[in-house]
Amino acid sequence: MQNKNKKFLPFLYLLPTAILLIVFLIVPILYTFYLSFFDWNLIAPTKEFVGMRNYLEVFTDPVNQKVILNTLIYIVFLVVLNFLFPYFISLIVKFFISKMQGAYKVLFFIPSLFSLVVGAMVFTWILNPVSGPLAYVLKNVGISMPNWSNSGILAITVICFITNWKVFGYNFILLLTGLGSIPKNIIDAAKVDGIPKWRLIWNVILPMNQGIAIYVLILTIVQGLQYVFTPINVITTGGPYYGSSNMIYQTYLNAFVLYKTGTSSALAIVTFVIFLILLFIEIRFVERKAKNYA
Amino acid sequence: MKNSKLKKILLMLGIMAMAVVFAGCGKKTSASTVKHITYWHVNAQTQGGAAVDDLVKKFNDTHKNIKVTAKYNPDMYKGLMQNLQSAQASGKVPDITQVGWAYDNYFASNFKYMTPTDAAKKFDGNNKFIDGNFTKRTLSFAKDSKGKLVGLPYSLSTPVLFINKDILSKYNIKEDSLSTWEGIKEASKKIHDQSGKYGLYIQEPGDTWAQQGIMLSHGADIQKGGKAAFASDNGVGAYKYYQEMVTSKLALHTPWAQGMDSFVKGDVAMAFTTIAQASHIKKSASFNASAIAAPHFEGHKTVVPVGGSMLAITAQDSEQQKAAWEFEKWMYKADAAVTWSKGTGYLPPTKVALESSAFKDYVKENPMLDPAVKTLDNAVPWTSFPKKGLQAEQAMIDARDKILSGSDVKSTLGAAQDKINAEQK
Repeated sequence: MQNKNKKFLPFLYLLPTAILLIVFLIVPILYTFYLSFFDWNLIAPTKEFVGMRNYLEVFTDPVNQKVILNTLIYIVFLVVLNFLFPYFISLIVKFFISKMQGAYKVLFFIPSLFSLVVGAMVFTWILNPVSGPLAYVLKNVGISMPNWSNSGILAITVICFITNWKVFGYNFILLLTGLGSIPKNIIDAAKVDGIPKWRLIWNVILPMNQGIAIYVLILTIVQGLQYVFTPINVITTGGPYYGSSNMIYQTYLNAFVLYKTGTSSALAIVTFVIFLILLFIEIRFVERKAKNYA
Repeated sequence: MKNSKLKKILLMLGIMAMAVVFAGCGKKTSASTVKHITYWHVNAQTQGGAAVDDLVKKFNDTHKNIKVTAKYNPDMYKGLMQNLQSAQASGKVPDITQVGWAYDNYFASNFKYMTPTDAAKKFDGNNKFIDGNFTKRTLSFAKDSKGKLVGLPYSLSTPVLFINKDILSKYNIKEDSLSTWEGIKEASKKIHDQSGKYGLYIQEPGDTWAQQGIMLSHGADIQKGGKAAFASDNGVGAYKYYQEMVTSKLALHTPWAQGMDSFVKGDVAMAFTTIAQASHIKKSASFNASAIAAPHFEGHKTVVPVGGSMLAITAQDSEQQKAAWEFEKWMYKADAAVTWSKGTGYLPPTKVALESSAFKDYVKENPMLDPAVKTLDNAVPWTSFPKKGLQAEQAMIDARDKILSGSDVKSTLGAAQDKINAEQK
């Protein structure tokens, strides 16, 4: 009896989580996969089977190609702004500034408390190229502000900066906490050996902080692409001519604005696979590297 | 011992779960005396939501047998349509639904509804209510591509040209020269040359409503016989004008919120946008703002697509439909329609409300509404293509964005037209 219970109990404990995962994650993913082979407007009683047409459209349609390219640009920008930049600042705060560490933490974290919709609206106002405060300041110095919402790459840059405003503090605190948990005796030993600070950081600190760094990097890509959705939706709605759209916004646009469920599902599945591959490469690559240090 | 405790806990949990499940399936039991109906609308508190709540409360106070619950749906007509889809899937649809014109055909061909004509016939025994309140033109806005009346027009809007009178008088520009698009170009050039400011902003939201107005006022058709026809010489001419205005920096090309912000701050002299912006402009502009009727091109007359929404009966049960029809009729009473109009900035749809002294007084206090009311006589239904209408609208938005980024007007409009027509077979 006791033994039977022991076998049965772990499954019982897992059941609530498993049910939640199955209902809200596995089933929707499978259903999305199923829908990606149909042409359906979300409500009509009949779905038309179209085979691989939706997938072909994802890769051959020039708009989708543009959107995939934009997604890659977003990833590069997000990694630089939301991962490398806070990492750099957290290293400076930890190892080069000894005072007011707590104050920096609070200051940088404040924007994380605000909603992105609020952030997007405030930045739309500040960065209005004709009538925003920044445009007025620049005008007084004799510089005219470029109309960024008419250029895809500038719009992407602005949108990435808005998400940077939101997530910088959070990522900064995570990385700083990681740096703080490195055993002090190792750092002291390195200092006793007279190793220069940059070598200490490169050869000791960075490898030892890899766990947190990988986590933040993955978060930056996967969550970042979802975070940019809000400013895209509020400011540019993907424009100019899909110049600032990414795969997640495009999935939303196809599903809930145009009711092209098939195309949207195919895009969602492709995005899902890309995310899986990215995470796989990232973890494998970094884990292997981590083992080398071990 | 441990085992029995675990069993007890599991049993309790099970009972609680069942209770939750059954509570969700509960049926209303008070239906025999009071009819409960739900009304779905899109008016946030800042966009007339308070007026809607007020009207519903008044209705409930005066009607003992019907209780209306108003439900606000965020993200305008798009958001409401998304919620309606989920409602249809779960089988719990609202009884009255506010539907935007752009969703006319999509709604008609995918949802179950009762036409106002049927409702009037079944519950009133005659068509007096519809004929007595709405003009033929107003009713035409709410018809689907097969000519069937889907709902009753509820809110109407037309585009108008808002002007910054201070800038115009500073550069000696007369208002009556702005009745044509050619006159607006000349004025914009004068303003731009002397001040560096933009002359004009044309609204660029997620639809081409305003742009359709410019094409229509150049004698173009948006659709003809159910097929897209906007890539005609007249359509191309209108867009060439718009493109030229943008490339020569006479007109500002920017998303809607920024464009309106620039207008109310006095950096743009004129804004071609919906009359629903009047109260925002009145509140925010620090200059002398006014509105004039939508312009036309020389040799053509002003024609604009109507904006706004209709009310459709989505109730399925006959008794519910009757209650919904009762509520709908009450909402169209002149004082209710005027209250709603004041709250939202839209124009009332009925003849009685438009001619009521309450509305006339309101227009006197808000003269910006006057040109919009007058333009209603030149309004046509907002183009809604019979098949894949939402994708057709997106094709037109894409064409607009491409043209304003410098693409060739004729080939871009032609490609958009072909894309839409390929779906209309």
